[in-house]
Amino acid sequence: MAMCSLQQDVLLYFIHYQIKFKKIFTSRKDEDKGTDFNILFNGLLCRYLFGLCIGISIALGATTASAEVRHPDPEGCFSCHGIENLNYIDQEGVLRSASINRKHYYSALHGNVPCRDCHRDISEFPHEAKNGEVDCADSCHVEEPSKGEAYNHRYVVEEYQSSVHGEGWSSGFTGGNRFEEEAFQSNPSCRQCHSNELYIAAESLPKFKDSFDHMEAECGTCHQGEVWLGQFGGHILRRLIGSRWNKRVHNEMCNRCHNDHERMAKLEIEKNQGEPKEKVSARFVLASESYASTLHGRILDSDVNGGASCLDCHAPKNFRHGVLRDEHKLSSTHRGNIAETCSQSGCHGFASHPLNARFVETDVHDLDQVSSGIGFFPNDSSRLESGWVKILAVLLPVLFFLAAGTGWSHFFGEKKKGIIFSRFGGVAFQEKILGRKPKGKNKPKPKPKPKPKPKPEPIPSDTQSSGLDQSRSETDEN
Amino acid sequence: MDIVKRIKDTPNVQLFRYETIILSCTLFFSPFLFLPSLVGNPDLCGKLCMRRFYLLFPGMDSADVLNSMQASAIGVYMLTLILITTFFFGRLWCGYVCPVGGFSEMVSRTFGDQWKIEYRSLPQIPIRYGYFSVYLSLMPMLGISACTLCNFLTIPRIFDAFSGNPQGIAFALSTVGLVNIALLFLLGFFAVKGRAYCQFLCPIGAVDGLVNRLGAKLRFTRRIRVERSRCTGCNVCARKCMTGAIKMENRVAVVDQLSCMSCHECVDVCDWRAIEWRTAPKEHAPKRKKKGVEYYPQPEWQAVYPLAKKKSLIKLNLIDVSELKPKLELKKSNSSSTASGESNAKPK
Repeated sequence: MAMCSLQQDVLLYFIHYQIKFKKIFTSRKDEDKGTDFNILFNGLLCRYLFGLCIGISIALGATTASAEVRHPDPEGCFSCHGIENLNYIDQEGVLRSASINRKHYYSALHGNVPCRDCHRDISEFPHEAKNGEVDCADSCHVEEPSKGEAYNHRYVVEEYQSSVHGEGWSSGFTGGNRFEEEAFQSNPSCRQCHSNELYIAAESLPKFKDSFDHMEAECGTCHQGEVWLGQFGGHILRRLIGSRWNKRVHNEMCNRCHNDHERMAKLEIEKNQGEPKEKVSARFVLASESYASTLHGRILDSDVNGGASCLDCHAPKNFRHGVLRDEHKLSSTHRGNIAETCSQSGCHGFASHPLNARFVETDVHDLDQVSSGIGFFPNDSSRLESGWVKILAVLLPVLFFLAAGTGWSHFFGEKKKGIIFSRFGGVAFQEKILGRKPKGKNKPKPKPKPKPKPKPEPIPSDTQSSGLDQSRSETDEN
Repeated sequence: MDIVKRIKDTPNVQLFRYETIILSCTLFFSPFLFLPSLVGNPDLCGKLCMRRFYLLFPGMDSADVLNSMQASAIGVYMLTLILITTFFFGRLWCGYVCPVGGFSEMVSRTFGDQWKIEYRSLPQIPIRYGYFSVYLSLMPMLGISACTLCNFLTIPRIFDAFSGNPQGIAFALSTVGLVNIALLFLLGFFAVKGRAYCQFLCPIGAVDGLVNRLGAKLRFTRRIRVERSRCTGCNVCARKCMTGAIKMENRVAVVDQLSCMSCHECVDVCDWRAIEWRTAPKEHAPKRKKKGVEYYPQPEWQAVYPLAKKKSLIKLNLIDVSELKPKLELKKSNSSSTASGESNAKPK
């Protein structure tokens, strides 16, 4: 219910935004009509006409406008795609839905953009399915005012293509690639992460409204001109205030795939360029699990912007799309770069200090902490390759000896009277802490133990131990 | 029934202490997890951690310190609270509340001392503060995680494992988990009185002990204090002391305030009321002198005794009784002839 009212709220606000936008736009177009070919080319002439109609209708006092009318649909795409249950069966025999929910579309990031601004290959009706593909690297509908060029995602795409995720498969990113097919793809498309969700959270909507109303006064002092205010200002403001993106959302995005252990276990990656591909290790498959159980993940779990998200370490720079594998020299998690990554502002600033050379080797994907991966990789012995095993080899026999002795003396040993001092260190305790000589000091205490021991090598037998007990049954009283 | 008899013989204060420890175990650990789940935490780590925010990395600035304090914000509050109570009342957290040290103590007390290891005669103060300084500065520099030997990590995981949580079982099967459990057995269950980890490795205890020692000289703070002229030197308190804080010097009990946990065990067993958890009386100047002997209006309850001129290289051991005031000796010989029969103390 809350979501529903939120959507309505956003929707209403965007209607308001549209009206304002159109007003600015129409007045601008009146001044230099016919000169801006770029805009004409982009199909904005249609928008102009549409906006003019709206302007007239406002002038006539038609203040209450419904959402369907106000939104740009100059090509009339919604005449078909607005029909509910518009389904078809594609070449592979998969039933697909082609209907678009208007409410969802209008309240999304691109809700005010006409369909053909992105779906450019469509020139006729009805169109072929493959003409509906969108290339994110293409120029965009928004004009960047400082350069006067149409904005595009070219740099982002380039960075992404060089990353592990873009490797090997990069044709058009969203083109010809649907969610169902992505299940069989090893690399995600743009759309996999940038799903067209509702962009403004409920709690920040009033702030957004307020800022938008005051934008002309505040931003307008420097950024003069209606172009900026009308086109770019709203875009920036929405990113600035309306952004729902926090670290936790980043991680949810990564975990959509990386939390699926069975799917991750099927992957094969080449560690170094040119080498044959190998099966991924348990460390890779359980990466999100081990992250969640270590401190970074746990802090983030309690605070949406605390701790370090996946992207904070794996893609801290540029457009945050350049995730590279650890072995890659340019990777932020490469051994040579990790100190710089850890010492980002707000994180471990001391990590780049030369004395902290080993701090950066702290295992932030510690498999030992993983809760669910038992039996996942039964043959993976990397867990046991540590010096702790050697320490354990010493500790465990000692422990066994103590436990066996305790059990034996509990069930078979003689019941002693008076105060019992420990076999191990009891004499020293009496001498140092109690400040007295232990009784029966003519028999030196530690000596008798080694003497009988060498003869029967394996385990002290019952008779010898009971003899020992009697010899050591020094008591405190009287 | 042996157990029933042992429980009956246990003094009331100690029974109360065991009850509070069991209560705090149920509050802090699985399967109930009442207190950690109040802040949405499944164990005592993360923001509840009290052992990590004071680690000193080389090149740290104030922003980094603040950052690590923010990461374990509740742990900072808890430690502050513990230190404040310690300053006024002694280490009540360690002795009465701490579920981790308390758990190993409770398990250790269930079976006899014969096959346990006696750690109390080791020089615990140099070991503790030596390890503490390594823990603070060297281990971070070497990249050794502070969690590798942490029993605040281990014991909640063991409780997890026994309440069926897969994470606890996984931890118990990992190498670090196994080493930690072995350490828990060696320094906990198989240590006499089960508090060897607290004595040697616990960083909270090390900080707490410093604060305890700091406030011990003040007269208004409650500490385990000894009235030396009453002490008969029977050494029951030293035998019962779970941290090895009481040492017999010249047949007089002396409390080491860096190690004392104010658990009252010594108070309960003393037949002469020579050792008590109390403030020092205000008046301590000699009322009159007669034949060279000073008479005090009230007993002289001291928590810390004057430092010797040379004696020990390690000055951390602030209790040295070799320079006992001769007047005390004189007074004791005058007042009580019972001191001669100190070995006739009540056997337990």
